[in-house]
Amino acid sequence: MKMPAHEPPRWAERFLERLLPARARQVVVGDLREEYVESMLPLRGKLRADLWYIQQIASFMPHFSQERGPMGTILSFVSWFCLASTCWLAVMEMLLRHDGYELRATMAGGFALICLATILVRMLRLGKRSERWLWAGAAVLIGCGGEAFLHNATADHFEGFAVVISVVLLLQGTLMLITLGRPAKGNARPLETTLG
Amino acid sequence: MAELLGTFEQSVLLSIFGLRDEAYGRAVLNHVQKLLQRNVSAGAVYATLERLEARGLVLSRLAEGSPARGGRARRYYTVAGEGERALSETQKALTAIWKDVQLPIQEGL
Repeated sequence: MKMPAHEPPRWAERFLERLLPARARQVVVGDLREEYVESMLPLRGKLRADLWYIQQIASFMPHFSQERGPMGTILSFVSWFCLASTCWLAVMEMLLRHDGYELRATMAGGFALICLATILVRMLRLGKRSERWLWAGAAVLIGCGGEAFLHNATADHFEGFAVVISVVLLLQGTLMLITLGRPAKGNARPLETTLG
Repeated sequence: MAELLGTFEQSVLLSIFGLRDEAYGRAVLNHVQKLLQRNVSAGAVYATLERLEARGLVLSRLAEGSPARGGRARRYYTVAGEGERALSETQKALTAIWKDVQLPIQEGL
């Protein structure tokens, strides 16, 4: 079903609802919709109003997505680093095409997917059901990171970047095991209970 | 002595004062933009409101939403007594800091 043109994009509203803690969810999404409908859309037109809405969503990420303490913050940083490095590795493998590049590029792509999933699950609070899949992801990262570290340590030719990436993969896997099982903070006061 | 407030926190508290009974999130956002004369992100304003409320400087209550908001509730804010004290102390501290300063600042101050 297509959205009426005078409302913010449905996907953006849903994304914002997922991002925010329960206490702020209705209030913030309502306020932004009001601003969108009454100010942004009449003054700026549909495209610029949509861009404004997306910009506002981005502004909530640093404030409301780090709710699992310092470990969660470190995990976020490491996840973004791993995502960037594994994407870079996959692209380089595809460009250089050394022997066995298909397998290595696929593995790097797989790691990138695990990192992306970790970021999204944390950011959107997708819940325990989704987190279960990440336990398997954490095991894969620890296994592959550990294997790459040991392989590199005993190899004739020492690769500095391989050590860095294997250590970061190990770190991310360990942090995932530590933080993913913890309940998110900040949802203690549901909006509905204080209404009225 | 209460902790001194940052510029952004002062703007948010003064906006709530200025808006009186109409101080809900969207209105505060627009008022802060007017006060600071620049674009301000919604995330920064709501995070500041949450923080000020957690510190007991503002109080909030929920009210029914309008059709323009898809029926979603509004949260109205008021400055608590502690918030007034913090603003007052911040103003005093800033006045004291700037009292003997003449611009442009002279060397050896």
